Amino acid sequence: MADLLPPLTAAQVDDKTKVDEKVDYSNLPSPVPYEELHREAFMSLKADNFEGLRFDFTKALNQKFSLSHSVMMGPTEVPSQSAETIKIPTAHYEFGANYFEPKLMLIGRVMTDGRLNARLKADLTDKLIVKANAQITNEPHLSHAMFNFDYMGSDYRAQLQLGNSALIGATYIQSVTNRLSLGGEVFWAGVPRKSGIGYAARYESDKMVATAQVASTGAVVMNYVQKISEKVSLATDFMFNYFSRDVTASVGYDYILRQSRVRGKIDSNGVASALVEERLSMGLNFLLSAELDHKKKDYKFGFGLTVG
Amino acid sequence: MAPKRIGVGGGDSSILAKIANSSIVSQGRNAACDAVYVSKKLLKSTGKAAWIAGTTLLILVVPLVIEMDREQLLNEMEFQQTSLLGTPPPAGGMPMY
Repeated sequence: MADLLPPLTAAQVDDKTKVDEKVDYSNLPSPVPYEELHREAFMSLKADNFEGLRFDFTKALNQKFSLSHSVMMGPTEVPSQSAETIKIPTAHYEFGANYFEPKLMLIGRVMTDGRLNARLKADLTDKLIVKANAQITNEPHLSHAMFNFDYMGSDYRAQLQLGNSALIGATYIQSVTNRLSLGGEVFWAGVPRKSGIGYAARYESDKMVATAQVASTGAVVMNYVQKISEKVSLATDFMFNYFSRDVTASVGYDYILRQSRVRGKIDSNGVASALVEERLSMGLNFLLSAELDHKKKDYKFGFGLTVG
Repeated sequence: MAPKRIGVGGGDSSILAKIANSSIVSQGRNAACDAVYVSKKLLKSTGKAAWIAGTTLLILVVPLVIEMDREQLLNEMEFQQTSLLGTPPPAGGMPMY
């Protein structure tokens, strides 16, 4: 192994850029660790279909500071005891402020139903990133907060997660070769006294990305994304839970054209969904979302406008 | 003539004929019923499949085709623009005024 070391160190610079390219973007917090692992697949397959009207307006006051107003009207599902989910029409307005600096990012959102959501991302040093996410609600015992500490090594990344109600998690991912990276995660949740361990692998090349993830909660997720051209990519996903024997496979496409972006997906549960974003003019985007569930005969359509 | 003969003459044979007839006829009737039942089911399931396929294609394929057409139109316009801007040097004096 020692004589292999010199070429490996040269290759590790590439690995670092590959690893950077993987775990760089943290615009949206995600409750599942390794969100970057499935990033390409989830871009096509987990498009956020919504129902009703959605209007987002972002106004930049400064180079660093911007305010956002967002209105959402539509039926939202309320889980009920019976098998039928009840849809109640709701409308709410969300006000938000964003502050972006190269080393610090602050995002805050307040909703009319009294929920406050705050996110922080700070680069403490070159290699250490702190992320915090808090959600405060009016109802007791529903507020939660989570802190992540990310350490970026030369070809690995380690993350420590601390949440309220005694949630501790740690993830580690290492580039094994130029294209293959393996990782693992461990978590312990205090309130439902559960602990879990999981493993993940990701293989990528210029044209494709394949990932697989196994967790001790019984979830196995595998997906494959093939980039057919600059504008087109196809993705397929297979997830099953070996405890509850739930299997879902889905196939989707993602066309990124100059003036629009069309994403479509069909599922083995009989769900077909599509999301079309069209750029009407500079800074004005028109969104159309549709979701057909043929098994449950549930059809959801939404439209929206994004300004700024 | 024939009905009268059936009615009067071979009473037994006519009844037997009727029974024979009716067994075949009843089989035929059963077959016809089954055929109608099966064809109804087939029509219904074909209809259902056509509905599911139609709406799914409507959602997945139609926006894509529309957007691709627009992209093609945009490409053509750009190509025209570049070709228009490409030709002025030799004949640029004339259309300018």
